[in-house]
Amino acid sequence: MRRRAGALGVLSVLIVLALLVPRFGGDYYVHIFALVFTNVILAASLRPSLTCGQLNIGHSAFMSIGAYASALLAKNLAVPFELSLLGGAVLATLVGVVIGYPSLRLRGVYFAMVTVAFVEVIRLIAQLWVSLTRGMSGLSGIPKPNLLGMTLTTKAGQYYLGLALMLIVLLILWKLEHSRLGLIWKSIGMADNLAQSLGVDIARHKLLAFMLGCFFAGIAGAFYAHFIRFLFPPEFGFLMATNILVYNYVGGRGHFAGAIVGAIFLSLLSEPFRGSPYETIFFSIAMLLTILFLPGGLITLPEKLAGLRRWRAAAAPTPSPAA
Amino acid sequence: MTFALLVQSAIIGTSLGSIYILMALGLTLMFGMMHIINFAHGAVYMLGAFVIYYVFFQGGAPYFAAFVVAMIVLGIFGYLVERSIYRPIRGGIEPTLVALIALTTFLQAAGYPVFGQLDKHVPPVFPGTRNILGVGISIERLMIIPIAAALVVALYLFINRTRLGAAMRAIEQDKEAAALQGVNVNVVNGLAFAIGFALAAASGALMAPIFKLDPMMGEQPLLKAFIIIILGGLGSIPGAILGGLMLGLIDSIVATALGAEPAFLLSFVFIILLLLFRPTGLFGYAP
Repeated sequence: MRRRAGALGVLSVLIVLALLVPRFGGDYYVHIFALVFTNVILAASLRPSLTCGQLNIGHSAFMSIGAYASALLAKNLAVPFELSLLGGAVLATLVGVVIGYPSLRLRGVYFAMVTVAFVEVIRLIAQLWVSLTRGMSGLSGIPKPNLLGMTLTTKAGQYYLGLALMLIVLLILWKLEHSRLGLIWKSIGMADNLAQSLGVDIARHKLLAFMLGCFFAGIAGAFYAHFIRFLFPPEFGFLMATNILVYNYVGGRGHFAGAIVGAIFLSLLSEPFRGSPYETIFFSIAMLLTILFLPGGLITLPEKLAGLRRWRAAAAPTPSPAA
Repeated sequence: MTFALLVQSAIIGTSLGSIYILMALGLTLMFGMMHIINFAHGAVYMLGAFVIYYVFFQGGAPYFAAFVVAMIVLGIFGYLVERSIYRPIRGGIEPTLVALIALTTFLQAAGYPVFGQLDKHVPPVFPGTRNILGVGISIERLMIIPIAAALVVALYLFINRTRLGAAMRAIEQDKEAAALQGVNVNVVNGLAFAIGFALAAASGALMAPIFKLDPMMGEQPLLKAFIIIILGGLGSIPGAILGGLMLGLIDSIVATALGAEPAFLLSFVFIILLLLFRPTGLFGYAP
């Protein structure tokens, strides 16, 4: 109970801080944080699949579909943002079903390999379908997002839109994870044959988890498209897909907050190197160190430190039980 | 498509397929024993090519010496990766995969500051062309086939005729039972890493005089190798060889007829269809 109150307190402080960014930070911070929100959505939307034990290394593909679909709907057909956002997410989900249905029959490693190839396929399609996506020239002139017919012209307005989207998505995913469905996902991830023997339709639940991930990745992509207003196929490549995975692992897989912590921490910390190879070098070192020395991710750090302190205080010869 | 063009793309396809086979064999060997996929394989291919660039082209060593250096250096690197990444994680398949992905992105990104931003080129080692059935084929590409075949035969003999090879097969069948019979599982796993890395380095070294060199050059061969081992069945060596040849031919013939990107898309569609009907690949068995 106390933990829960503490978590709520931290959450409200964070939300208040996030609301204050456009007031006190300049456009630079508004821009950075809006991108952080996109990353948080992406990282959190990978969780259902990861919980089911499906190592999806192709999440950026669905972001790309959402981004292109929403941008093209708004640009070519003047569809309002609310609908184009939904359209992008739905298309990402549909493509996810077409690809996911056959590949979800595969376990672990096979699945991971197919998703890697899938990133390449979507990138190539975006690159080759020049008449629609403008290929390697990049898609520009994407309209700014609008809500209820009002265009959000300022960066701050778009920032609040991103914040709202992120909070809604996180709330939905959090609710799902703590429902019966989340329990089923967890059981599949821990021992899928046991879950099956208890009557869980694992194929259907894996597909559902995968589709949810595609849907929210599509949402993140659509927001990204109308916020940055320029799309370039290679951006949604293997590197972005692995980054989404890295957020989850560095943050910690054991708790819902892990994906969020990982996405915020790494996006902000790598900001000074953005666009240079050092960003990736930094990411991969952070990833390797976490996997090797902090397998539970950053969210287990306080616990580990507390365990260490207790161990020191007791000066016991045995290592801490928290480890 | 004329006959001459078909012959030409068939031969080029076979030589491309030989490269894919070398890549896929290491992957499938490591999968069979440890149930992991070495995502770093493409990065090792890239490093193999750069060893040729520095030792053969810049250093002036004979090509075959540079080739052997690439295999040995990267084989040792493979052993060290087993020691420092695979072993500490202790069989956690998912964390190992993620760690290997991290290693890959690290090697690729570090390639830019270390090797420079510009593409590198290695001059031809076997210049000239040879006339086969009235078609000119570059000797460079032709030479890949016997060298790769020799490596495949050597690997086959090693696995089937030596004690260490028997140990590898034992681990593949049952790790615990192998350990109980006195097989040092850690050392043999390290050896599998070393062999896999050395084979990837060999394919990179063979391709260095043909393609341009850049830190991301391993991505495509890695994806091809993935497709091959899914096609052939994970852990299956005959599957990797047949799959490699098939994909090499598809790549070369379809790419000549339609272009490289459609060839890749086609092989992917093929995989998805195959998975629908035979989820374990052509030669695979359920894990």
